[in-house]
Amino acid sequence: MTTLDHHTKSARPVPNPQKSLITKLNMGTGLIVGIIFAYVTYKLVRGSNPDWEPTQDINNHNQALIASMLMWSVGFLVGIGAFIGPWRWMIGKDLTAEEQLYLAGDGQGIKRYFKYCTDHKVVGIQYLWGVIAMLAVGGTLAMMIRTNLAMPGAKLVTPSIYNSLVGLHGITMIIAMIVVATGPFGNYIMPIMIGARDMAFPRLNALSWWVLFTAIPVLCSAWFLGGIPTGWTAYAPLSVQAGPGMNAFLCTIIIFAVSTAVAGANITATVVGMRTKGMTWNRVPIFVIGATISVALAVPAFPTFMLSMIQTAMDRTFQTGFFDANAGGSGWLYAHLFWIMGHPEVYVILLPGVAALMEIVPVFVRRPLFSYTSAVVGFAGIAGLSVLVWAHHMYMSGWMPMLNGPFMVTTEMISVPTGLIFLVILGTMWNGRPWMKLPMLGVFAFLWNMLIGGITGLYLSDVPADNYLHGSMYVTAHFHYTLMGAALTGAVAGLAYWYPKMTGRMLNERAGYISFWLIQIGFNVLFLGMFIVGAEGQPRRVADYAQEYGTANMVSTIGAYSIGLGFIILLWAVVHSWRHGKIAPMNPWGAKTLEWTVPYPVPLENFDELPVITSDPYGYGKAAH
Amino acid sequence: MSEHEQFDKVEPTPGERFSKFLKRKDVSSTVAWAFFYTLVFVLVALYLYPRWMPKGLSNEMRSTTRLMVIFTIISAPVCGFVLSMATHSFLRRHKGDTPPADGPGFSANRLGVATFSVMASILTLTAVIYGLVEMNTAAEASVREAKDAMVVKVVGNQWVWTFEYPESMGGFKSEVLNLPLNKAVVFDIVSADVNHSFWPVQLGVKVDANRLAHTTVTTKPIKLGEIDVKCAELCGLYHAYMETTGAVMTTDDFNKWVITQGGHTA
Repeated sequence: MTTLDHHTKSARPVPNPQKSLITKLNMGTGLIVGIIFAYVTYKLVRGSNPDWEPTQDINNHNQALIASMLMWSVGFLVGIGAFIGPWRWMIGKDLTAEEQLYLAGDGQGIKRYFKYCTDHKVVGIQYLWGVIAMLAVGGTLAMMIRTNLAMPGAKLVTPSIYNSLVGLHGITMIIAMIVVATGPFGNYIMPIMIGARDMAFPRLNALSWWVLFTAIPVLCSAWFLGGIPTGWTAYAPLSVQAGPGMNAFLCTIIIFAVSTAVAGANITATVVGMRTKGMTWNRVPIFVIGATISVALAVPAFPTFMLSMIQTAMDRTFQTGFFDANAGGSGWLYAHLFWIMGHPEVYVILLPGVAALMEIVPVFVRRPLFSYTSAVVGFAGIAGLSVLVWAHHMYMSGWMPMLNGPFMVTTEMISVPTGLIFLVILGTMWNGRPWMKLPMLGVFAFLWNMLIGGITGLYLSDVPADNYLHGSMYVTAHFHYTLMGAALTGAVAGLAYWYPKMTGRMLNERAGYISFWLIQIGFNVLFLGMFIVGAEGQPRRVADYAQEYGTANMVSTIGAYSIGLGFIILLWAVVHSWRHGKIAPMNPWGAKTLEWTVPYPVPLENFDELPVITSDPYGYGKAAH
Repeated sequence: MSEHEQFDKVEPTPGERFSKFLKRKDVSSTVAWAFFYTLVFVLVALYLYPRWMPKGLSNEMRSTTRLMVIFTIISAPVCGFVLSMATHSFLRRHKGDTPPADGPGFSANRLGVATFSVMASILTLTAVIYGLVEMNTAAEASVREAKDAMVVKVVGNQWVWTFEYPESMGGFKSEVLNLPLNKAVVFDIVSADVNHSFWPVQLGVKVDANRLAHTTVTTKPIKLGEIDVKCAELCGLYHAYMETTGAVMTTDDFNKWVITQGGHTA
């Protein structure tokens, strides 16, 4: 990206807010206040009856648990100082410049990662480690699932524990995948990419992370409250019937929806309003376009998920009967609310990972991005159509079979904008010489995985084929090919690409390559095996299965162990390289986007002088010289 | 330059340009790869799916298997295109610690984008039309067959399937799904508790069992064989074990079985 002159030199006061309360608050005080809020709320809601037993008064127990989980989140945010700024503004004593600089974490070293810090780079690193932790937990749960399924009749865990493993794995991975690219890279890299000093709303940025953080202990508590027996779809009336662990699921989603709404609005506002001078829409890096469309899609999608959870909570606590057929409600209503979020959510996950790969290809092939317009149209087309397809998940529900045809048409039409995404990547690669570094390997893996995921998606969108495949392991394999094989591969490639800018060091290449091949080979072994048993007739989410599916399941489990080993090596590489990796030059890949023009550590306000843009960021290629 | 020479230097026609384009070494090798990958996917479609999927006992199951084969064949050129381009790039890969030299600098090719978009739309439209025709054919057959079909009530109850045969056969209940050959059957499905999904695998039909909301699905067994009945919707603790078996029988065998269940022949 070409920069000409500079303007607006930033002035920075010296922080000295010694007597301010904000200097004394951190994650520790958040935990203490959060626990106090939760405990007091639980006691207040359950009442003072000494003979009260949770099993005797299930409604009241659910009320107490839900209220205390939500108040834990509020208490934590009070304790970490999230509301000091708004409070001071309300009483007419806004934060001083020194206090704001303190909130930005200036000069606080590693401590700022445990505080309510408004620096977008700190928030990006917080998201990165949060995502790594969630993927580690979700991956461990997946390994336990696959171990149980290695052989028919396996009795590693009880059916109750197995169902909880499935539910917790599902929701942990979904949450992790929703933020896997937009969290770390959308916060750390994206503001620099567009030439901004920070996000549009830095305090909301910190809020989005810490709200998400409060959801994690709530989700973990499900395990100690009897688990989640419903899978991550939490269909009613099973979710209404479920034990107290279900309350943790509901509250996790309610809290998470707040986090995504805040983050989505903030990222969108940042990109719309804070691009540097000269960065017209056709000069915006494609990762920024993909991430912004993704979060903009999340803004309307997640409230319906939140609403469905609130209604389920009301059914569980006040017997409102939204989803209870006996009380005049309908399980179909829940399915609609869930999938109106659920299918756009697939693309909320997918688009940023794909956009990261699109950012990588021109750099490593040394060619301009092929048809930038097609990439934008592809992203926009996918996002637009994704809100019109939700009921393809309900073909077999019995709801309105006459509408299956229209939903089949809208779903299959998504193939066209998805094809444009392939075209852009392949067109960029055409006749170039790909530099086979780890990020570029991710592009090749994506092409294969997304191809398989896309084609099998075509079968599942077709009513007669879905008539057989719905609810089978085939579906599980399909969505893992898209979410893990494409989106997670894109995010890992993005991590390998931006790692030098985020840490100042190069990621260990050898470990990166080993992990790549272990993960990709294992992935295809695992899920091709799952396609076979699905086509043969094995339902998904089963703790046990018939003897005839034994071989393919064993093969799948071997693949899963290969993935597990690959990710352990990758985690080691990330942790080890962070301290001991080779020092990275400012622009190790020779890229042209703005993040590679700033040094490491990136200054607090990113640029001494804001850049002015005069061309698009993909000026590679012989004709360009 | 003479007038005669100027006359000889005419612009090539689009056909000539296309022919020249195909003769380029990079293009011809990529096209060869594309044919190879397309062929592989066609073979996968023809060979693997019919072996993976159960032997169909009904037209619904057979048409599903056929549809999987045809959709894979429709998708095969797309696979060929993507994988051949990827292979071409991979074979030109650059190793080392410094970036490769810059490649061609063009950033768009409108004809290429338009051609690709049209081809992708045609393939998608083919899949859509084929799917709609199959769906319509199945719906028409369902209406036709339902007229003189045997109605079996199916109740999903955590974690047992119960089948209630028609009053004309004595209205007996069974936890085994036996059906007579060449006799259409309408399954009238409901749940006694949470959502289930009724899946007699070899019959190739499936529909959810919902609380208080009846759903129906029609099929006609056309071949003798065993049926595995499963639940395809997570329904709680013993979801994995909510399965039973049954069979498509000759009419004589079915009638004998009905009598052993306390029923009588219709």
